[in-house]
Amino acid sequence: MKRILVGLFLLLWSGLVGCSTTVSSVPNTVHVRWARDPENLDPLIAKTSGALEVLNLLHCSLLQASEAKGDFIPWLAQEFPQVTLISDSLMKVTYQLRPEATWDNGKPILASDVAFTLKVMHCAGLPTELAQARFGFVRDIEPDPHDPRRFSLLCRGQSIDFVRSSGDFSILPEYALDPNATLRAIPVADMGKPLPQVQAFARRYLAGEFSRHPERVPGSGPYQLENWQPGRQLTLTRKTAWWGDQVPSAPPQLWAYPRQINYQIIPEAATAVLALRRGDIDLYPLIPANEFARLQQSPSDREQLQFLTADSYECLTANFNMRSSLLKDRLTRQALTYLFNVPALIKASQLGHAYPSVGLISPSVKQYYNDSLPLPAYSPDRAIALLQQAGWKQQPDRSWTRTAATGRPEQLRLSISYRAGEPSFETTALQFQAAAATIGIPIELRPTEASLLSRQVQQGNMQILLRNMSGQPFAYDFTPILHSQSTGIYNASGFGSPSSDRLIEAIAQEDSPAKKARLLRKFQQLIYEERPLTVLYFLQYRIAAARRLGKVPVSGLMPGYVVTSIRPDSAAN
Amino acid sequence: MQLSRYLLLRLGKTTVAAWAIISCIFLLSRLTSGDALIRSVLDEAFTQPTITATERAQTEALLRHRFGLDMPLFYVSFSTPAGATSPTWMWHGTTNQYHRWLNSLLHGNLGHSYREDTAVTELLRRAMQYTLPLTMLAALLGVALTFELCIWLEYHPAWRSAMLSILYAVQAMPLFVIALVLLLLLANPDVLAWFPAYGLGSLGAMSPWEGGLGQYLYHMVLPLISLILVSVPGLVIQLSASMQLELHAGYVATARAKGATPRAVVRHHIFRNALLPVLPLLAELLPNLVAGSVVVEMIFALPGMGRLLAEAASTQDYPVLLGAVLLVSLARLFSQLLADVLYQWVDPRIRLSA
Repeated sequence: MKRILVGLFLLLWSGLVGCSTTVSSVPNTVHVRWARDPENLDPLIAKTSGALEVLNLLHCSLLQASEAKGDFIPWLAQEFPQVTLISDSLMKVTYQLRPEATWDNGKPILASDVAFTLKVMHCAGLPTELAQARFGFVRDIEPDPHDPRRFSLLCRGQSIDFVRSSGDFSILPEYALDPNATLRAIPVADMGKPLPQVQAFARRYLAGEFSRHPERVPGSGPYQLENWQPGRQLTLTRKTAWWGDQVPSAPPQLWAYPRQINYQIIPEAATAVLALRRGDIDLYPLIPANEFARLQQSPSDREQLQFLTADSYECLTANFNMRSSLLKDRLTRQALTYLFNVPALIKASQLGHAYPSVGLISPSVKQYYNDSLPLPAYSPDRAIALLQQAGWKQQPDRSWTRTAATGRPEQLRLSISYRAGEPSFETTALQFQAAAATIGIPIELRPTEASLLSRQVQQGNMQILLRNMSGQPFAYDFTPILHSQSTGIYNASGFGSPSSDRLIEAIAQEDSPAKKARLLRKFQQLIYEERPLTVLYFLQYRIAAARRLGKVPVSGLMPGYVVTSIRPDSAAN
Repeated sequence: MQLSRYLLLRLGKTTVAAWAIISCIFLLSRLTSGDALIRSVLDEAFTQPTITATERAQTEALLRHRFGLDMPLFYVSFSTPAGATSPTWMWHGTTNQYHRWLNSLLHGNLGHSYREDTAVTELLRRAMQYTLPLTMLAALLGVALTFELCIWLEYHPAWRSAMLSILYAVQAMPLFVIALVLLLLLANPDVLAWFPAYGLGSLGAMSPWEGGLGQYLYHMVLPLISLILVSVPGLVIQLSASMQLELHAGYVATARAKGATPRAVVRHHIFRNALLPVLPLLAELLPNLVAGSVVVEMIFALPGMGRLLAEAASTQDYPVLLGAVLLVSLARLFSQLLADVLYQWVDPRIRLSA
């Protein structure tokens, strides 16, 4: 026993003496908490939010989403592209690359690099199926014969969303990935064919294992990968000579202040909070509401930390399956929305860090938000009145019945489905169940595993569905969630009529902000009346950060902060 | 039965058991969730305004083909063929997902992760280099502590009741509570910040073997104590009870009559005989600790097998999930085999029969 105790003591002692620091102490470094590893850092394959965050630091696209502008803004491109419509379904999107833009070896970034990227995206034998689908509307690229930095993309579609998407992919260096320019003679359309050069290139690309070794693809972004220990941490270092520094009065999208950005992977929230309080990490994005509130209440933590929120474009919605006979009429759906106590839900599940909305447009987008509609209200009395209008009759046992179109009596008895294990969904479902019980509507709670729920939604095998939806301040295409073509895919309510489909298509096609605002207000009115879904609240992204970071710019777009604009050194001074 | 023949037979049975376990999991996971991952990826992609329904369908077909989900699940199926009205039994030959997977497995290929586009064997190897040192060290220290504590209790019977009460209390606590309590007590700036809260610090190396041992051990203290605290009480309670029974055996009286010291009686006579009922617990210790490492690795942010398993399950990364389950099943089956062998080593009178 004594030997064991002595051994344990020596082990502890050696550890304590041998180690003094836990994280690297390079000045001007920002340590950020991540819950998960980015998994795959191939610029054309990456899917997770962490991977996309890193890739936006390693690589530049032609355009970049800007919440402040409410639109995409030029990044590698010198200005927003010029659009020329061709016939009634095609367009030519012409870009001019920035004259300062160069690769790390000093070579300029040219139209040939953009063409090369499109070819890699469509290369047969590479696992880029999603990129091919997403950018399949770019049919071809036409370099300008007189200016190697100018080119046009021939695109299917004519809406502004297609123009924005045409510049939303990382540009890859041809000199590094295809030094002999073997793909230059092959048109984009032929890259899906099993040509010998294509196959040879695919083999070389796969052998590079860029998903695990992103450092093998030199990017045009301000950072390079210093170290990646999967599951533990990832470190990026600022390039000493980056082309963005040469741009006179550089716009915010070309700022890159931290010398080093270190992502620490800490899955457990309680551990991450402890790490933040110890100073092991500086920034904890998307911190749970309860931890955020607890830190805010502690005087010692208030001295060390700053607490920030950003109005996001992510909302919690309750979707009514209109294919269910009980939910076919809009009065019943309207009645049910009066049973959600939104202010209480915001207080209970988000501790006040959320805000209600009349519909799918965030109230922060004042230009398009229909403020003439009333916010969702909790009123069982109003629900009763609407149910009676819908033909429901309350029986002596308090249940609600009516005669269905088939002539048979039906009882208002519903189920609410949601992804299991999500506290905000559970709280909402329980509140709805309790409120419905007060007026005699039995509600069955169905917490369901994510993949099973996805299948049930596709099959229309649910009645009320709780789910989060994400949007952007500049894309207003509701086709995936409310167009009749999307029923059975992502349109959980089964909503869609020829007139609503036309309205959704018109919104997507409209470029004029004034006309778009009118259409969007009409759309919000329509959804408010038909109630295929109701938005309960929009979430706020909560961020806790060390005060030593100085001002931390926050954003309603993921990941919720702009790490490149943080200036820890200025805060110290 | 000869030991070598017995071992061969048990190995054969273990292999069959492992095959049955993993086949059941493969078929059940594919049957219940199928291509959930592909659908979730497509759901996400379909919210992009530039993708048409046709492109979505084409992409789905391409992804199904890449992941091998475009062929029947098993050799036979009971389904309705195109154009028919009623379901019938259909034979698919060897062109099925199960055959392809089993064939790859027999060639040592566990497939590729859906999420990371990395070979499953590589992911398992990477995870094991963190989990093995942790769990083996925890098992070794746990066993050593158990033995020493039990022997000490025999020398100090006055402490026995108090010590067992404490051990019962610790045993009642779930692992995540133990880990969180340790974290909040010993890595908390408000209490004692003696140990790091998570991870392996700024260790530059990819594995503990390549980095500084001191720093590695420093970061492992809390995870190790958590695993030891969760495994030792059960072992001590069982072994101590067993030793108490042996205390009154005839051979103990004989040994004392021959003049053996109390220490020698406990160490050389009682202890070995008392081990017998505890052997299965000892053999199961390592697989149990691997299972327990799920909690410890999540709380202390260690990128080992437990976390790999938990993340693969939550993201429906079935190739990784199957690979990890295969490894854990094999570890458990071999631990049972080890228990049988240890039985004969401790008491040669025990006859082995397969």
